[in-house]
Amino acid sequence: MKKYALNEITFMQFIFLIHGIQVGTGIMSLPKDLAEKSGTDGWMSLIIGWFINIIASYVMIQIFKRFPNDTLYDLLNRLFGKWLSLFISIPVTLYFICAVWLILIRAMLYIKAWFLPQTPDYIVVFLFTIPTFMLARNGLRIMGRYCELVFYLTAWMPFILLLVLGDSHWIHLLPLFKEGMMPVVKGLESTIYSIAGLEITMIVYPFLKNKQSAMLGIVIANSITILAYIYVTIICFAFFSPDEITGYNQPLLSLLKVIEFRFLERFDMIFLAIYLFIVSTSWIPYMFFAAFSVSQLMRKQDHTPYVAVLLVLIIAIVFVIHPSWNQADMWSKRVSIYNIGITFVLPLLLWVYIQFYVRVHKGELH
Amino acid sequence: MFFYRKFFRKKRKPNTRQTKQANPSSKQTDGQNLNSDLTSNLEKLQMLFQLTPDLIVRRLRIHVTGVEAALVYLDGMTDKSTINNNILTPLMREAHASNDKGDIPFTNVGNVGKGSLWSQVETAILKGDTVLFADGRPEAFLFDTKGWPQRTIEDPQIETSLKGAHQGFLETGTQNIALIRRYIPNRELKIKELSIGKRGATKVWIIYLADVAHPQVLAELESRLSSIDVDSIINTGELVEYIEDNPYSPFPQIILTERPDSTVSQILQGRFSVVVDGSPSVLIAPATFISFFQSIDDYSTRWLIASFIRLLRFLAFAIALLLPAIYISFISFNYEVLPIQLLLSVAESRTLVPFPPLLEAMLMEITLEMMRESGIRLPAPVGQTVGIVGGIIIGQTAVQAGIVSNIMVIVVASTAIASFIIPNYDMGTALRLLRFPMMVIAFMFGIVGIVIGMMILIAHLVCLESMGTPYASPLAPFRWADMKDTFVRLPIWKLVNRPKNTRAVQSRRAGDNRRNGDMQ
Repeated sequence: MKKYALNEITFMQFIFLIHGIQVGTGIMSLPKDLAEKSGTDGWMSLIIGWFINIIASYVMIQIFKRFPNDTLYDLLNRLFGKWLSLFISIPVTLYFICAVWLILIRAMLYIKAWFLPQTPDYIVVFLFTIPTFMLARNGLRIMGRYCELVFYLTAWMPFILLLVLGDSHWIHLLPLFKEGMMPVVKGLESTIYSIAGLEITMIVYPFLKNKQSAMLGIVIANSITILAYIYVTIICFAFFSPDEITGYNQPLLSLLKVIEFRFLERFDMIFLAIYLFIVSTSWIPYMFFAAFSVSQLMRKQDHTPYVAVLLVLIIAIVFVIHPSWNQADMWSKRVSIYNIGITFVLPLLLWVYIQFYVRVHKGELH
Repeated sequence: MFFYRKFFRKKRKPNTRQTKQANPSSKQTDGQNLNSDLTSNLEKLQMLFQLTPDLIVRRLRIHVTGVEAALVYLDGMTDKSTINNNILTPLMREAHASNDKGDIPFTNVGNVGKGSLWSQVETAILKGDTVLFADGRPEAFLFDTKGWPQRTIEDPQIETSLKGAHQGFLETGTQNIALIRRYIPNRELKIKELSIGKRGATKVWIIYLADVAHPQVLAELESRLSSIDVDSIINTGELVEYIEDNPYSPFPQIILTERPDSTVSQILQGRFSVVVDGSPSVLIAPATFISFFQSIDDYSTRWLIASFIRLLRFLAFAIALLLPAIYISFISFNYEVLPIQLLLSVAESRTLVPFPPLLEAMLMEITLEMMRESGIRLPAPVGQTVGIVGGIIIGQTAVQAGIVSNIMVIVVASTAIASFIIPNYDMGTALRLLRFPMMVIAFMFGIVGIVIGMMILIAHLVCLESMGTPYASPLAPFRWADMKDTFVRLPIWKLVNRPKNTRAVQSRRAGDNRRNGDMQ
């Protein structure tokens, strides 16, 4: 039974879906967070993060290899039955909703701070919800296409950063490991939020056209993400001095402010506005997964109404509580802990459970 | 404008509610057989065709057998000389012993059929055939003598080309098919005939290469065509609205062309074309966003130049869509983006202008659209006047009077030029329309508004499909192989495979034609 055959996504779409989800607003403040925790060695913790992600995704692939036509929810139903499975699937659904919420709020705060200080926050969120609704109400295939197209459309953006290299001092990066390994490991905490997004593998896997290369896809997607982060972090570290960098909330934007053309003074504004595209490839798929998860919980096929409901709820909550930067930072800390649970702990537990399950139900699996 | 789609979620189910009054004439004739008596047949005929003064009934005696007969046709729908020379003359004068067996009377007409039902006879007469009733026979002979007023083949008017063929499609479907077939004399070129409309019974032909085109697309196209329930189809544009995937989109999802050569090149790529009788434009599906930026001239100019021109078109698309919006956002919202020198010169030219930027831009853009629209339908000599009036009054005087700024005139002029570069008229009009919401959203939210507008546009493009083919196809889903003929046009001998987005089943279309090495 292949109930997701209609929405199969290609290998490339899988890569860009994961990559798109991973790269969001985190990159703006990542260099500062890393510099605070681990000094100029911070970029090395990204490599460790990459390695951990690969291991986690390997575990996920191992689980879903045995059940190639199951999403996480189908699998939970199969393992624990219709009602017990809710103990896991409700938290997972909530996680996706929190993720959408957080990214939308952070994007809104950036836009409000840099472009539209006078506009009410719920109007900004409403602006975001229009393309979100148009895309997320469709299937996963549309998400894949969107992420793919946006990746190609924005692929030029990293190269803009090369313009500041003339004013950079590579000496800032040296010496390596100046305080040993511990700071590097500490920096991991702040990278987790930025590299979150792997957990969607557990839902996307049955939609994959080419399941053999799923692992390869994850590795490539992760590598692109981490390379982009390392690239940005190193350039920021080289440009700002180690003491100076922690003074900026968003070092990447401060760095872009330096770029200036004779006909264009504030290139950073344009950069940030276009960067919204990259952020959108993060919140729109999350919105899809959130609505998809809710529809799975409700045991409905069509997830379109839930997209609308969730979006209206988000706008309403923004209207009521008017989130601030501090709240957003607090939430993102909690969500990254939540994320550790979903991305690393849940697959591991499932994997262990399945080892027993397979032993017991030998021959009944397919 | 896209999100109202959700209120009209399209459900393409066949129209089950049958119209009661449809085709009253066929009720009288359905299933009725012809009489063998000539006089009663003619009486019945007179009854069917009341108030039809152009119906000619010519009574005659067939020379060979001496049987009483009558020839019936519609004046004006038939070719008179064929009837006179090739039917009447042989029947009345020549003495060849031929139709004693009673098969087909001896005439000089190529296409002769037989009909024993009144409904057959009726359609035949109405379509321009000549019908021969013979006494003592319960059937009639139908001679193909169609001939009606036609224009001669002319240069295509909308899609002019520099180096392409100078033949455009006509209003006669069969001639259009001939124009296409002349390029592909191959028996794999299949033509499926359908008829649409209860009253008009417009003939429609689906033309495709049987071994190349995807059968699933054919089935989809055929089912959509045959589920249309209307009176008549006058124009191909009407037909397109009935069969396209997303009727609420501003983007054309099916190519309409009046060029036989571009139709053929699309058929060869594995697409389907639909010829509609009575309309000089031919429909091509499935289409992609990119295919509206390709022109037949791209393949006859040198590839470097063709690629340059294609890139120019995409640039023009961006300018025509975004330039007024960017102007508005830089003037009214994000002025800090511009350096002070530039900002000063812009501000200086705007000192006299009393309107906010949006109103200023709207004023100019709407004037431009009006000028363009009035120019289309005016005869050529008057059309020039519009140009002069537009150029002098809008360009010069409006600035001097302080109604618009200089920069605005430059912006409007460049968007106008840019939107003329798009080779396809339908895509050009979509662009003209989309510019306005972009301007409004730019006025409300500045650069962020433009980015959100683009996001909505891209989201919409990504969701669109044309006959089940993704509309944004070589880009999303990305197909590296199709890139050879997307933003650039590589040398012809590199285009060995048909584009993937046509879903052609036979992908290879050319061998290795590259001349390599020194040829002495």
